[in-house]
Amino acid sequence: MSIIFLLIGISLLVALTFLAAFFWAVRSGQYEDDYTPAVRMLFEDEIEQDE
Amino acid sequence: MPLAPAPAPETLTHVACTHCGDDCPDEPIKRAGQPALSFCCQGCRAVYELLAASNLCTYYRLDERPGQKVKAVELPGRFDYLDLESVQSQLLAFRSPTLARLTLTIPQMHCASCVWLLENLFKLNPGISASRVNFLRKELTVSYQPDTTSLKEVVKLLAAINYEPRITLAELGAQPHHGTRTLLYQLGVAAFGFGNVMLLAFPEYFSFTEQLQSTFGRFFGWLSLLLAIPVLLVSARGFYRSAWQGLRQRHINLDFPISLGLTALFVTSVVEIVTQRGPGFFDSFTGLVFFMLIGKWVQQRSYDALRFDRDFTSYFPVAVTLLTKTGEQSVSVKELKPGQRIRVRHQEIIPADAVLRRGTGRIDYSFVSGESEPVARAAGELVYAGGRQVGEAVELEVVREVSQGYLTQLWNNPAFQKDEQPNLETYANKVGRYFVGLTLTLALGAVIYWYPKDPQMALRAFTSVLVIACPCALSLATPFAMGAALRVLGRRKLYLKNSAVVETLGRADTIVFDKTGTLTDVKKSAVEYVGPALSPAQLQAVAAVVRHSTHPLSQRLASELPAGSLAVADFAEIPSQGLRGTVAGMAVRVGSAVFAGLAPAPTATVEPAENLQSSVYINIDGITSGCYVFRNVYRDELREVLAKLSQRYRLAVLSGDNDAEQTRLRELFGPTAELHFRQTPQNKLDYIAQLKQQGRTVIMVGDGLNDAGALQRADAGIALTDTLTNFSPACDAILEADSFGQLATVLGFSRDCLRIVLATFVLSFCYNGIGLTLAVQGRFTPIVSAILMPISSLSVMVFATLLVRLAAWRRGL
Repeated sequence: MSIIFLLIGISLLVALTFLAAFFWAVRSGQYEDDYTPAVRMLFEDEIEQDE
Repeated sequence: MPLAPAPAPETLTHVACTHCGDDCPDEPIKRAGQPALSFCCQGCRAVYELLAASNLCTYYRLDERPGQKVKAVELPGRFDYLDLESVQSQLLAFRSPTLARLTLTIPQMHCASCVWLLENLFKLNPGISASRVNFLRKELTVSYQPDTTSLKEVVKLLAAINYEPRITLAELGAQPHHGTRTLLYQLGVAAFGFGNVMLLAFPEYFSFTEQLQSTFGRFFGWLSLLLAIPVLLVSARGFYRSAWQGLRQRHINLDFPISLGLTALFVTSVVEIVTQRGPGFFDSFTGLVFFMLIGKWVQQRSYDALRFDRDFTSYFPVAVTLLTKTGEQSVSVKELKPGQRIRVRHQEIIPADAVLRRGTGRIDYSFVSGESEPVARAAGELVYAGGRQVGEAVELEVVREVSQGYLTQLWNNPAFQKDEQPNLETYANKVGRYFVGLTLTLALGAVIYWYPKDPQMALRAFTSVLVIACPCALSLATPFAMGAALRVLGRRKLYLKNSAVVETLGRADTIVFDKTGTLTDVKKSAVEYVGPALSPAQLQAVAAVVRHSTHPLSQRLASELPAGSLAVADFAEIPSQGLRGTVAGMAVRVGSAVFAGLAPAPTATVEPAENLQSSVYINIDGITSGCYVFRNVYRDELREVLAKLSQRYRLAVLSGDNDAEQTRLRELFGPTAELHFRQTPQNKLDYIAQLKQQGRTVIMVGDGLNDAGALQRADAGIALTDTLTNFSPACDAILEADSFGQLATVLGFSRDCLRIVLATFVLSFCYNGIGLTLAVQGRFTPIVSAILMPISSLSVMVFATLLVRLAAWRRGL
């Protein structure tokens, strides 16, 4: 059953990775504006050509 | 060649402008080669052509008529100050020979099309390397290459497409503000701790994992402790700090029982783990912190978008035109010295107290003093800062530095500062205080009851009571109810500074109104024509003449008269007298009685009240035909709103204007309302202070700088703005003028919200009651805690949000 120690260690490591990813996301300003990106991704580049 | 957007929908008589969607004049302005497009003015067409030339017509497809009517008067050299080194160094966030970056506030931003266009600026000016929008803050971050373009060019381009950034003294030097990230970090740590501790606590909850628990229980316990420490140190810090601040001011707020409960929870758990008596309550502890942080986050989210704490510096221009021996020069307002000569053009704000040297001043002080009509000033007279010059350009000699002007002094008057109320008496805090007393009594009672029988049990019951009494559901009730309320009110264009304002609005019993701009609609004023009727052709002619003038009365008159595009010959504007011009063979004179060929005598016989109204006389081909009389127009919905409000609130009016309107106001407000006229800003402030001393909760509704003190002093100051782009003084809430009619409904809704918060309190008390019953019996186990805590938190959140939605729906908001 001592494998549990290893498993928990790994699971904590994974969780820490996610925590670090979250910190990075906050730091890079992704939570500053949660409206504009949603609009921005809907813009198409060359609308003129398909009409 | 870009394809034309769908032709504008034909209404009965009007065609909508392709750019801004406004009605076009009878003969719309067309663009060569594209007869389907119609424009209401040259400005709109110019913007369209600029966009079309760069294949940016997608702008018109993303949203319905995204453009804004072009109205800015183009003044040469308006942006010259942006070339100043001192201004640039303050504005630019990053600077190198090849790249410069800055963030500009663009209040006009309002739809997806705006975002798209502003992010495609590089197509319009190749010197711009990137532009990025933050829609919620209405900010645009632009990077450009200083060697190919300049800051002035960038701002000019923005102004040309009608997204002129607001660059004011206050914004100078202000870096793009980052929303506080601390809370997000805290939330992250709490979520991390909560998730993992819960995982480790799982074996404890189920009987089939008993063997696992016996082997690893100790390890899991220590690991949970390890995970809970950062939650305590990082995430829970805010609660401790707030409780401590409250204590230092001899005041118990809601965070105090929370801190007490959290401490009890943590200490009990540590003791249990160290002595190996049990698994501890770390799952409940981390969960609690996590949920309460969510509450805080909800509370904080809505604040960013608007700035409520503007001071006079956001009102003043950044730079002025200085007249020197060598010519005109643009300087920063801050560098202005007494004795210097400046030029102030039409629609510009006078930055410092000064003496008029050349030109005729017509100064609109409505924002500063509440007087509705522009004041005429002749050469040699003193003009105060804050007024807006209307009409010709004038030369002024500065007598006082900006920082010593009348307006600035007024603003810096300590009476105008809202005394920071450290003990904001929100319901939650009031309840919190009783809560502490009750909890401690119960905890001690439990000890006294258990101690003779079972000392161990006594300790357990004591800590259990402290733990369960942690008012986390209580602390969540307000943010969620008020957060939902803020969103509902925001949809109705009432923007509140924070959720405590909802409570204040709900508790208020007195409403004080400012007159000019608040009760009256500045943009509209009833125009009545007195005299023999004019023929349509004559009307057209008058319209054509007045449209050439920038005088406020001319502009109001122009908006009343039929739209047309007749050419005017020999146009002349004689300051403070009138206008003349020849249209289609008719000689038209519009202006004062004397100017239009009447003897000044008749006005003297009219009763005094009438005398205060403005009249514009018309003279066509030498015959004086009649006059237009302008009256103040009260907002359409005013009567209805007042009727509703007077049932519940004491009403009062404070006007900086004269008492010409007294009878009309008396009729509108009813016999009990207090009406005060010729009030200075200080008078208004004193009046509010006096009401507050009588123990009343006062809402002040105002719009101008003259109300700034009163708005600050009132329990809740609501600033009314015609557009959010305009300046509004520091206040607790901003109401868009269009929504004025809903004031009564909004206040009713605030009262509903208070009741909802109370109902939510009752619900959370039920949970606490259940928990306490178990706790005093010593039957409060980790599993009970782990079930009860999240359920109470979650149900309170859902309950509060749903009830607010329901209340909004019932009020039709």
